[in-house]
Amino acid sequence: MAPKKAVGGNVPVLNPARNQPQSSKGQGKVQDFKSLQLEQEFKSKHLGVLGVLVWILFLHVAGIYFFTKGFLLTRMVLDNKSSCEVLPFESMTAIAGNKDKGCWHDKSFDKAVVIIIDALRYDFTVPFVPNDETEYAHHFHDNIPVLYETAVKSPANAFLLPFIADPPTTTLQRLKGLTTGTLPTFIDAGSNFAGTAIDEDNLVAQLHSAGKTLVQLGDDTWQSLFPGYFDENLTHPFDSFNVWDLHTVDNGVNEHLFPLLQSENRNKWDVIFGHYLGVDHAGHRYGPDHAAMAGKLQEMDRVIRDIIAALDDKTLLVVMGDHGMDTKGDHGGESDDEVQAALWMYSKRGIFGRTSKETLLPPKHARERPVPQIDLVPTLSLLLGMPIPFNNLGSPIEEAFAGPKGNDWANLATVNKLTAAQIKRYQHEYATARGAGDDAESFNLWSAAEEEWKSASKGFTSKSTAVRASYDLYRKYQRHTLDICRGLWARFDVVSMVQGVLLLLGGIMFIVVYARSMRADRTEFTGRLLLRAAIGSCFGATTGPVLGLSGLVDMTIIDCSVLLAAGASMVGGFSALVGKSAQLTLPLPSGVWGWLAFFFTVSQSVGFASNSYTIWEDEILLFFLTTFGVCAGISSMRQKLATDRILGVYHSVLFVILGRVASISRLCREEQMPFCRSTYYASSTSSISAPWQLAIPFVVMLFLPSVVRSFYVGSKSYEDNATLWIGFAFRLGLLITSVFWVLEGADDGGWLPLSKETLKTGRVFLAQVVLSLAFVAGTAAFVYAKPCVSISVSKPQDDPNAPPAPIIAGQEQKPRTTVTILGFGNVYGTRFFFLVINFALAIILMSKPMGQGAIALLLWQILSLLEILDTNALTLTNSAIGPVILGVLGSFYFFKTGHQATLSSIQWESAFIPLSTIQYPWSPLLVILNTFGAQILAALAVPLTVLWKRPLQTHDRVSTSPSTTKSPNPATKLLSDVIQAASTHILYLATINLATTMWAGHLRRHLMLYRIFCPRFMMGAIVLGVIDVILVLFAVTGIRFSTVSVGDVFGW
Amino acid sequence: MASPSTFISAVNPPSAPSQPPVEKPSPPPVNILPSQLAQTYSYVHPTILLTLGATRFNALVEDPVSELLNDLPWLALLQLSYVILCLPPAGSLASDSSSNEKSQRSTSGITRPGKGPRRKHSGKNEWAGIWARLMPAFLSVALTFLIATPVIAVLLVLFAHMALLSSSGLTYVHGIDASLWKEVWGFARPADAVWGGAFGTVLGAWFGAIPIPLDWDRPWQAFPITILAGAYMGYVVGTLVSRTPLLYGKRIQFTPGQDEEEEKTN
Repeated sequence: MAPKKAVGGNVPVLNPARNQPQSSKGQGKVQDFKSLQLEQEFKSKHLGVLGVLVWILFLHVAGIYFFTKGFLLTRMVLDNKSSCEVLPFESMTAIAGNKDKGCWHDKSFDKAVVIIIDALRYDFTVPFVPNDETEYAHHFHDNIPVLYETAVKSPANAFLLPFIADPPTTTLQRLKGLTTGTLPTFIDAGSNFAGTAIDEDNLVAQLHSAGKTLVQLGDDTWQSLFPGYFDENLTHPFDSFNVWDLHTVDNGVNEHLFPLLQSENRNKWDVIFGHYLGVDHAGHRYGPDHAAMAGKLQEMDRVIRDIIAALDDKTLLVVMGDHGMDTKGDHGGESDDEVQAALWMYSKRGIFGRTSKETLLPPKHARERPVPQIDLVPTLSLLLGMPIPFNNLGSPIEEAFAGPKGNDWANLATVNKLTAAQIKRYQHEYATARGAGDDAESFNLWSAAEEEWKSASKGFTSKSTAVRASYDLYRKYQRHTLDICRGLWARFDVVSMVQGVLLLLGGIMFIVVYARSMRADRTEFTGRLLLRAAIGSCFGATTGPVLGLSGLVDMTIIDCSVLLAAGASMVGGFSALVGKSAQLTLPLPSGVWGWLAFFFTVSQSVGFASNSYTIWEDEILLFFLTTFGVCAGISSMRQKLATDRILGVYHSVLFVILGRVASISRLCREEQMPFCRSTYYASSTSSISAPWQLAIPFVVMLFLPSVVRSFYVGSKSYEDNATLWIGFAFRLGLLITSVFWVLEGADDGGWLPLSKETLKTGRVFLAQVVLSLAFVAGTAAFVYAKPCVSISVSKPQDDPNAPPAPIIAGQEQKPRTTVTILGFGNVYGTRFFFLVINFALAIILMSKPMGQGAIALLLWQILSLLEILDTNALTLTNSAIGPVILGVLGSFYFFKTGHQATLSSIQWESAFIPLSTIQYPWSPLLVILNTFGAQILAALAVPLTVLWKRPLQTHDRVSTSPSTTKSPNPATKLLSDVIQAASTHILYLATINLATTMWAGHLRRHLMLYRIFCPRFMMGAIVLGVIDVILVLFAVTGIRFSTVSVGDVFGW
Repeated sequence: MASPSTFISAVNPPSAPSQPPVEKPSPPPVNILPSQLAQTYSYVHPTILLTLGATRFNALVEDPVSELLNDLPWLALLQLSYVILCLPPAGSLASDSSSNEKSQRSTSGITRPGKGPRRKHSGKNEWAGIWARLMPAFLSVALTFLIATPVIAVLLVLFAHMALLSSSGLTYVHGIDASLWKEVWGFARPADAVWGGAFGTVLGAWFGAIPIPLDWDRPWQAFPITILAGAYMGYVVGTLVSRTPLLYGKRIQFTPGQDEEEEKTN
C-alpha cells in the first residue's frame, strides 16, 4: 500500500488533536474544547458568509427588477367599453342600438363557431409548391387541404388568408390580441404559465354582455383570461401544458362540440370557441416534419369537414391558427415561421367576395396579402352585430364585407368608417390619459377620408369612386394608427431602467472590491458588513414610504423603499469595506492569468453590443476556452517540477480536445443559418433524438464514473465512500437514466408493443428513482459521509506478533508504527466533489441524450480544469481565472445542451420527465434544471477551485499554548478563499448581466431588439439569479458539511 | 523516519520542497546587429512586409490558397535576408559556454550549425563564415516547413506563413537549443526583436479571428485572411515594439509575485 509519491514533506502540519490526544487527559479536554470552539467559529462565520451572498442576491434582484419594470414594454389599459347604443361618431342618419339587427352595423350571422387550431401555420394549409427539384413535401404539407379546397371551389362561401401574429407568439398573448384587438407588450410575455383575466374591453365580454350564450371547449387558457363568461354546463376546458399528450384535448373538444351542432341543440348556444392543441403539441414534441404531425393535420381536416356538414345557414365558421411554429415545432419568438398562421372563414350563405381577380385564389405564400390577427376583432364584431371593442386597432377584413360579387364598396366604406371612428375615439382617450396629441399625418388622413365620405353620401351609388376613395383612406388611417401604436408602445421608462442599471453597477463595484481587492480574511469583515448593510437597508426601507407618501417622487411606496433600501445598504456595505482601507489593494488584474480573466469577461460583455457576437456566442466561448487551454499549456511548460509540467500539459491538451468534442453538439438559432447545422436533434425539423443518439447515455454510463474515478485515483482518494458513490450509485443512476431515454425513444418511435400509458408510467417512475438517488440519497450521503481517505496502520516487520492498532486514535502506540493515510492530499476536494456528482446525475437525467454527452464532457472538463489549476499553483493563490473559466464553461455548455438565447429553445417538455402533470413548484424547477444545468454544475464546482488538492492545515495547538495570541483558524481561511472564488464567479455573471442589460436598454430601438438583445438580457438576468441562489443554497452551504466532515476526522 | 508515527502523504503538492532542477541560464535577449545596414534594414523589412501584404490583399481575398502558396517563396526570401542582414547567427552570443554543452547533448544527431564561428577560425576560411551564416538560415526555413506539415491546404499555407514569420528569427539566432525552445513554448523569453516578432505573430493571429463573425458581409471576413493579416501586423508591431527600451528584456508574468506567493504557502 505504499503510495507512489510517499513524501513526508508536508506531513508535520497534520496534528489531529481529537484523534491523538496528548499524554495528559486534562490537556486532551482543553484540546477538545478548543476544537469545539474552532468548529463553532467556523459555523458562525459560515452563516455570515451566506448572509453576504443573500445580500448580493437582493441587490441583483432589485437591480433587475427596476430595469425590467422600465424596459419590458407596458401599455396603459383603458377601462372604457364600447356600447351598443353609442356610435363611435356623431351621426344623423345611422341609428345605433338595434340589438336584433345588429348594433353598429347590420349583422350577417346570428351564431358562430370559432375553431382555433393551435400553431396552424399558413404553409400547412396551402398546396406544396417546390421551389426547385430538390425540394420535397414534408410531413406537414398537404395534409389539411379542406381550407384551400373550399376557398378555391366556392369563393363566396370561404376564404383563406395568412394571419400574422404579433410576437410574442405564445397562446396567451395571442388570445389577448384575438379578442381585444390591441397589440401585446412584452410585459406579459412571461406569464404564459399563469394567465390572468383580461379587464380590457374585448369581444368575449361584448358577446357576454349582449346576453349571448358562450361555450368554450379545449385549451384552458381561455378560462384564466375570461373567467365566468362561458356557459358552465356546456364549457369543457382541458389542461393545456401537457405537451406530451397529443390527443386528450382534441378528443375532448370533438366529444363536446359535435353534439352541440346537432339541430336539437342549436339554440342552446350562440358562439362556440373550440381550441384544439394537438397540432401544437405534435410540433413541440416531434417537430413539424414527423408522421405524428401528418396524422394530426389529417385528423383536423376530417374534423373541419364534419363541422361543415353539420353547419346551418345562420352560423359562421372560423378556423384559425393563433401562431405558427419554427422548424423545430416551437414558438414564442418572432421569426416568420412563428408568426405566419392561417385564417379561414366559411359560411353556407355565400356572402364573401373578392374585390379583384388577382385575389381570387388564396395566397401561395404567407408573404402575400397577409392580414394582422387583430383584424379578426372588428370583422367578427361587425359580422355578429356587436360593437367593436373599445381598444381595437384592427381593420375589417375586406373579403368578409365585399359582398359575393366583390363590389359592395358602400358596405366596405361603412364598416371601415365605423372601425376608423372607433380607433380615433380610442386614440383620443389614450392621448388624453397619456397627455399626448395626435400627429399631423393621421389627422390629414382622417379629414381626407371624411371629405370623400361626405361627397360619396351625396352620390348614392355604391360603385362611385368617392366611396372607394373613402374606403381606401379610412383603411390607410387605420393602418397608420396601427403603425403609430406599434411605435408608441415601444415606450420605455428610462428612469427606472437607469435606476436598475445603477443598482447592478453598484453591486458589481461592491463585488469587485469584495472579491478582488481585499487582502485580509473576508470572514472578519462579515459582521461589520452585514450590520452596516442592514442598517442601510432599514434606513432606506423606512425613508422610502415617507418619500413615496409625500409625493416627492413618482413611484409606488414599495418600489421607493426597495430602491432606497438597496442603495443605502450598498453605501453601508462599502463603508464597511473601505473603512479598513489598509487591507485593500487596487483591484487591477495582474499577471497573465488575471488579465486573461479580465479580458474574457470584459470582451464578452462588450461583444454583446453587436448582434453578431450575440448570435455566435457559442463559437466565441469555444474560442475563449481554447485560448485558456493554450495559455494553460504554456504556463504548464514553465513549471519547475517535471510532474507538474507533464500533468499540466496533458490536462491542457485534454481541456482543449474536450471543448472541441463538445462543440459537435449544437442547436442552431435561426440567425445562424445557413452557416450552422444542428446536431442536437434527429434533424433540423425535429425535436426528438435520433436513434443512434440513444447510445450516448450508455456510453456516458460506462465511461463517466471511470473518468471521475481516475481523478480520484490520481490522488489516492478513491477510498471509502468514493467507491460506493462513484463506482456504484452514480453508475446505477446513469444506467437507469439510459433506460429511461430508451423507453422515451421507444414511445416516440413506437418500437415496443406496450401502451403509451404503460411506457409513460414506467418512465416517470424511473426518472423519479434517479432524482431521489441524486437529491435525497445524495444529499444525505453528502451531509453525513466521511472524507475519502483510507487510514491503515502497519507495524514494523520485526514485530510481527503484535496486534495492529485498530485506529490511530487513543491507544498507547508502540514506537515505529507507521500510519498511512491514503487520499490525504485531496481530502477537501474529493469530499466536496460528491455534491457536484449528485447534481450532475440529476442534470444528466433532465437533458436529452445529446445533452447528456455534453454534460458528461463538462464534468470531465471541470476536473481537467481543476488539475490545471493545481499544477499551475492557481488554487492557493486565489487567482480569478478558475472561477471565471468555470463561468465561461457554464455558458458554453448551455449552448451545447440544446439551448440558445431565444425563448423558443426552452425545452418545456422536460418538465414531464419525472412528472406526468404540471405541479408547482416542481415543474418550473425542472425546466430550470434542464435549461441552466450547465451553469448550475459549473457554479457548484466553484468552491473546488480553491479546495482541489488543498493541503490539509489544521490548527496548530501544540506549539502555541492556548493562552498566547490568537492564531488564525485554518477553516476560516478556507471559508474566505471559498467566498472569494464564489464572488468572483458571481462577478463574471454579474458583469455579463450588466452588459446585456445595458445593451438591451441602449439598443431599445434596434430592429433586432426582441429577436436578439431582449432574450439575451432575460437569459443573463435569470442565469445570475439562479446561480446566486445555487451558490447560497448548495455550493457555499455544502462547504459547511464537507469542512466539518474533514474536521471531525483530522481535527480543526 | 525518526518520528514514531509517520503520516505519509499520497500526493506531492506543487510546493513540496523537493530540490528544483538546476536551471541553466537562458539565452539573453538579442539586439539587432549594430551595423548601419542592419539597423536600417531592420526598419525597412517590416515596411516591405506590410506593403507587400497590402498590395496582394485583393488577390488574397480572391483565392487565398494559391495566393499564399505563391507568396511563400518571397516571404521565405525576405525573412532569410532579414535574419542574415540584421541578426547575429546562432552561437555568436556571449553566454554560450553552458548552453553549448547542453545543446550538444540534446541535439546529438544533428550537426549544430552555430559551431563554426565559435571555433574562432572564421578568419582563415571565408567560406566557413558564409556557410556559418547561411546554414542556420536554411535550417530555420526547413524547420519551419517541418513545423507546418501536419494539416492540409489552407491550414498548411497559413501555418507556413506564420511559422516563417515567427520562428525563422528564433532558429537563426538560437539554433535548436533545447532549453531555449522550452522557454519559447513557455512563452518565457525575454522581449527582443526576435521573440517579439514571434509572440506578435501569435497574438496578432488571435486578434485576427475577431472580425470573422461580424455581419458586415465583406469578402475578406473569411477564415485564413483576417488571421493572416493579424499575424503579419502582429509580427511587425512585435518586432518593432519589443526592441524599445521600455520592453526590451522583460518577460511575461503569469502570476504576479509568484515567488512571494509560494513562500507564503510553504
